[in-house]
Amino acid sequence: MAEEAKNDGLVHLTIDGIPVAVPPGTLVWAAAKQAGIEIPIYCYHPKMPPLGACRMCFVEIEKMPKPPQTACTTPVSEGMVVHTKTEKVLKARRGTLEFLLINHPLDCPICDKGGECDLQDFTLRHGPGATRFDLRKRHYPKPIPVSDRVLLDRERCILCQRCTRFCSEISMDNGLVMINRGYRMEVGTAPGQAFDSIFSGNTVEICPVGALTSAKYRFKARPWELKRIPSVCNNCSVGCNVRIDVRVDKIMRQMSRCNDDIDDGWLCDRGRWDFDYVNDAQRLRTPLVRRQPGGVLEPAGWGEALGMIAERLRTIKERYGASAIGGIGSTRTTNEEAYLFQKLLREALGTPNVDHHHGFFPGLRDPLTERPWMLTTAIADFERASHIVLVASDPYERQPILNLRIKKALKAGARIYVVNESPTELDRLATRVIRLPQHGAGAAARLLLEAALRQENLRNPSEEVRTRVLGTPQETRQAEALCGAETTAALRELAREIAAAPAALILYDEMATLAPGCANLAPDLQALAVITGNIDRPGAGVGPLFEDANSLGARDMGLLPDSLPGYRPASPAGLSYQEMLTSDAVKALYIMGANPARHLADGNLRRGKEFIVVQEILLTESAQQADVVLPALSYAEKDGSMTNVDHHVQAIRRALRPLPGARADWEILMDLAALLGHPWSYEGPEDVLLEIAAQHPLYQGLTWEGLGLQGVRTGEVEVAHA
Amino acid sequence: MPELIITKHIDVPGIDRLSVYRQYGGYEALEKALREYQPEEIVELVKKSGLRGRGGAGFPTGMKWGFLAKNEPRYLCCNCDESEPGTFKDRMLMEKNPHQLVEGVIITSYACRVSTAFIYVRGELAYAARQVQRAVDEAYAAGYIGKNILGSGYSLDVIVHRGAGAYICGEESALMESLEGRRGYPRLKPPFPAAVGLYGGPTVINNCETLSTVPAIVRNGADWYASFGTEKSKGTRIFCLSGHVKKPGNYELPLGTPLRTLIYDEQYGGGILGDKQLKAVIPGGSSTFILGADKIDTPLDFESVAAAGSMLGSGGVIVMHEDTCIVDAVLRMTEFYRDESCGKCTPCREGTYWLVQLLERIEHGHGKMSDIDLLLDICDNISGKSFCPLGDAATSSITSSIKLFREEYEYHVREGCCMVGPKARKPAAAAL
Amino acid sequence: MISEQAKQRMRELAARYPVARSAVMPALYIAQAEEGYVSRAALEAVAEVLNMTVDDVESVATFYTMYYQRPPGKKVIKVCNSISCYLRGCDALIEQLERRLRIKRGETSPDGRYTLLTVECLASCGTAPVLQVNDEFVENLTPELVDRLVDQWEAEFQAEGQSQGRSPAGAGGC
Repeated sequence: MAEEAKNDGLVHLTIDGIPVAVPPGTLVWAAAKQAGIEIPIYCYHPKMPPLGACRMCFVEIEKMPKPPQTACTTPVSEGMVVHTKTEKVLKARRGTLEFLLINHPLDCPICDKGGECDLQDFTLRHGPGATRFDLRKRHYPKPIPVSDRVLLDRERCILCQRCTRFCSEISMDNGLVMINRGYRMEVGTAPGQAFDSIFSGNTVEICPVGALTSAKYRFKARPWELKRIPSVCNNCSVGCNVRIDVRVDKIMRQMSRCNDDIDDGWLCDRGRWDFDYVNDAQRLRTPLVRRQPGGVLEPAGWGEALGMIAERLRTIKERYGASAIGGIGSTRTTNEEAYLFQKLLREALGTPNVDHHHGFFPGLRDPLTERPWMLTTAIADFERASHIVLVASDPYERQPILNLRIKKALKAGARIYVVNESPTELDRLATRVIRLPQHGAGAAARLLLEAALRQENLRNPSEEVRTRVLGTPQETRQAEALCGAETTAALRELAREIAAAPAALILYDEMATLAPGCANLAPDLQALAVITGNIDRPGAGVGPLFEDANSLGARDMGLLPDSLPGYRPASPAGLSYQEMLTSDAVKALYIMGANPARHLADGNLRRGKEFIVVQEILLTESAQQADVVLPALSYAEKDGSMTNVDHHVQAIRRALRPLPGARADWEILMDLAALLGHPWSYEGPEDVLLEIAAQHPLYQGLTWEGLGLQGVRTGEVEVAHA
Repeated sequence: MPELIITKHIDVPGIDRLSVYRQYGGYEALEKALREYQPEEIVELVKKSGLRGRGGAGFPTGMKWGFLAKNEPRYLCCNCDESEPGTFKDRMLMEKNPHQLVEGVIITSYACRVSTAFIYVRGELAYAARQVQRAVDEAYAAGYIGKNILGSGYSLDVIVHRGAGAYICGEESALMESLEGRRGYPRLKPPFPAAVGLYGGPTVINNCETLSTVPAIVRNGADWYASFGTEKSKGTRIFCLSGHVKKPGNYELPLGTPLRTLIYDEQYGGGILGDKQLKAVIPGGSSTFILGADKIDTPLDFESVAAAGSMLGSGGVIVMHEDTCIVDAVLRMTEFYRDESCGKCTPCREGTYWLVQLLERIEHGHGKMSDIDLLLDICDNISGKSFCPLGDAATSSITSSIKLFREEYEYHVREGCCMVGPKARKPAAAAL
Repeated sequence: MISEQAKQRMRELAARYPVARSAVMPALYIAQAEEGYVSRAALEAVAEVLNMTVDDVESVATFYTMYYQRPPGKKVIKVCNSISCYLRGCDALIEQLERRLRIKRGETSPDGRYTLLTVECLASCGTAPVLQVNDEFVENLTPELVDRLVDQWEAEFQAEGQSQGRSPAGAGGC
């Protein structure tokens, strides 16, 4: 009998004489790690189930048969006594390393992985000093591309299966697989098939050796030359945690910096590799001004450019009034910059016209829950959903890492329902795919809600919703006509399932709300979740999947015509994004980090405008039409906070020296405010964050230091009653 | 000749057809089982009979059934993936008397409250698979398989599944992976199949010969079966005799019959081919340790063969006479394990690759004296370190042959040619 | 291409198992029977029917030696060269077959008639040496029996060629 368990719910064991207490189910490998003891591993990856294939993590466990055992497959048990450095263990590890090296090309001097290679490192620490193998090595043609972005060197591969198991267990697309068997086994794809996955870069990252390399990073740097800065991906609204690896002020690569609550340790290929714009030679390095109307954009000093802006805006304000000025903010700048932007417009320039490009949500808050329009659940809680309903949303394309979380939920038993106009990657794994006609999402939401309302035993029946929906049967008939009988029937069946589901999660894309006939998409789906009780229960929830890295932050900071920071109503309300672009009453546009020219049919931003300012990184379509262009900094060159899709407020950090000549958006806004007679006294984004925290219930108590390395998820519950 | 159990009717013409099988008492055991026994009583009966698995490990069959977890659905896998070099009994049972196997499958499924049974037939054995499929089809038509079998209320589905060329799928967890449509990699244990097996359900998995024995036990009783064999190794089993004997073939004998009887008795092996001297015997398929000629009087039961330094294994007795070059023979067996290693774990995949190259070098006269100890050390780094027993199996013939015939290895290194056999005493250059 | 009937058989098999994916091995046999080997079309058909990716199907197919990666000859001759057949002299018979068929082990004859393979133990050790022609056994091989077998195969091809009204390519050299 093991000694009696201490009453702390933990399992107690000793490893190399060190007492360790860990939760039940912990693997010996993880327990050793907690005790500060390294047990070498190749095949095991903490995000995947144990495999036990590489035979590297040997330990000896007293009273267990046939030593040694593998630490990565053995769960701890009470009173267990583990030894990691016995002669038997050391010999077994030497043996495995010798086996792994007999067919290894030992081309470390030209291998990207050299310096951060587990085969190198473990051989140094656990391996034999020399090989006894003096026979024929296995040979393969040197690296073969398995896709445009990933190369495979089968000679370096130690066949640990991490990459192929990522593809089967995590991304579930089986893009990379094991081919052949035994000593002929290799990683590969079907003949002529590319490894076509938006998650492919993860296989490169988790490859413990130099077998999988990225086309982008190959031969670019040695690991020990890299400066590694913790930051957050700027590519979509998920906000995956990244480590920016920099060599001589150039981003060499971005690696995952595991945040279990957000990315679960994974990055999509866009997040990993689409950072070229930061290093782009075309980056704006000096302000540009148009000195004569109709003239060309010419380089200018900061003084001249900012002076021109202050003077021209003052003139326009005097001539037409402050509301002739409009401000279009960004979904990719920091919270602090968004906050200062609206403050500049509203306080220094006195105009109510502030907005940004976003989906259509009627009012500041969902009228049923009184919450701001945002996801009501945490990303990590997706795993607890029983039903995941994706309406007009395709995370694989738009918020890729959420696709992996949905697959994790699927593995845990969730059923996936895809309600979409076009095929999506998840269709293959879905319990049901309901295909919609073009712009049919609004109709689908209506039909789902209508059918749910007809269910008995609704968890949370709402008279208000009942009256609104059942009182307008002609709208339901129109929706039926648009969707057709088959789709209508399928949607009604789905509504019944949602009503009966233990925990349904309903997701829709922010931008789908802009399609014709989709004005009620958001409120209808929110109402569906509310009446079926799929809100505020573990795993259940509803909400929009936002577009950009700080789409939600932009809303929070009051880059909305009807909202001040903290969703306080703006009075009077200003003009909307579309109105500012099209209204002749708006004579001046101040655009920060946005490219509205792309949202105009003819791309002409100047219609009726006398003066346009654009703060940008590159000379975009909008910048080309501006009178003053101010060169700004990218996410990699400044500090600040961003708010992701499930309301994690996270810090981005300066990884590069700022591009000479360019300035951070917040610095530019401060200088301009001073010129306009509003000298702000912030020493940096930290001070701005403190001001936001003081005003905004969702940011209450936040400090720059408090954001730490993993950010803080702030709840929406307080807001509902704020 | 002692009484036969499993092969009693094997040579009856037409026994592979239901009508003939029934004339010889076929499916009476099933009727008896359904009529007279509760499922648990059959488990007890088989426990009492002392029947042990005939696949290789020799685990008590009834005990295995008793371990089965209670949740449903449960599955039965009949392991007919016979691939162990030197073993050819299951093929005979399937080809010649498939109904006996099918009856065993049905009774076992009933005993274990299984609703779907799979018969996994080795891919290469196309005719055997056709025979088993036909027997299953006939049994369905006769109401022995399907809904409400013989009015008992018990229902069973039986699926014959063909492998496609992989020795490793004879390992029980790899077999289940293969049945689930995956590469035949062995699974982590625990959990054991009795708890979490096929499709995650409790699964009982037994060898073809084991299940073919079950009808006779049900028909004649546990005591009757236990009266054959020895104290701990009850019953009879089929010994597959091959190699340098005059009359190779399958012989059913009570456990405990001396090896000498099997090899030399006129009824069985009839002596060594060409009346040459016996050199060595592999008693239980190529995965077991080689025994020297001095072990000829070892009784063929689980305990005695273990005491002699090997294993009864799958019952494949491979005989080698004096003209056998042990290095070449061992090379041949090691090539098998290299080719059949699934590749999942490092020691087995890389180790067998290395062992074959070393053995080739020694056999062809280019070896070094240090290679012999290197072979042993590589074996030590594989054995007990590999994921599944295939790695261990790959080392058995090497370690045991070096122990018994080290001078022959040294001769190869020193003289550059074989010590015995057709390539003996010729210069290395000429020996190809 | 894989016929609709073949795909239908695959679908029926998939329905027979508790999990559709279990039918991948029989489905590959069906596809191989139509294509002669696991062609791209075979991979795609199996993947489509069983809702797998082609890479996934390829991974399974390449694990098992009985699924051919390249088109084999009309007669696939598999000779066992494991221990029991080795002890009974299979090596000489393999060399004899190499001479008679004028291909080495592992090769397919240029005329597409024969593929000669050495394989691991075929569970026929009591009747060693042994070979299989298109999965059917020929046991207790002797040099004479091997010669007769090759003669018989040649005669079959000859007859086939004549029945088609022309001499098969390469026949003159046999």
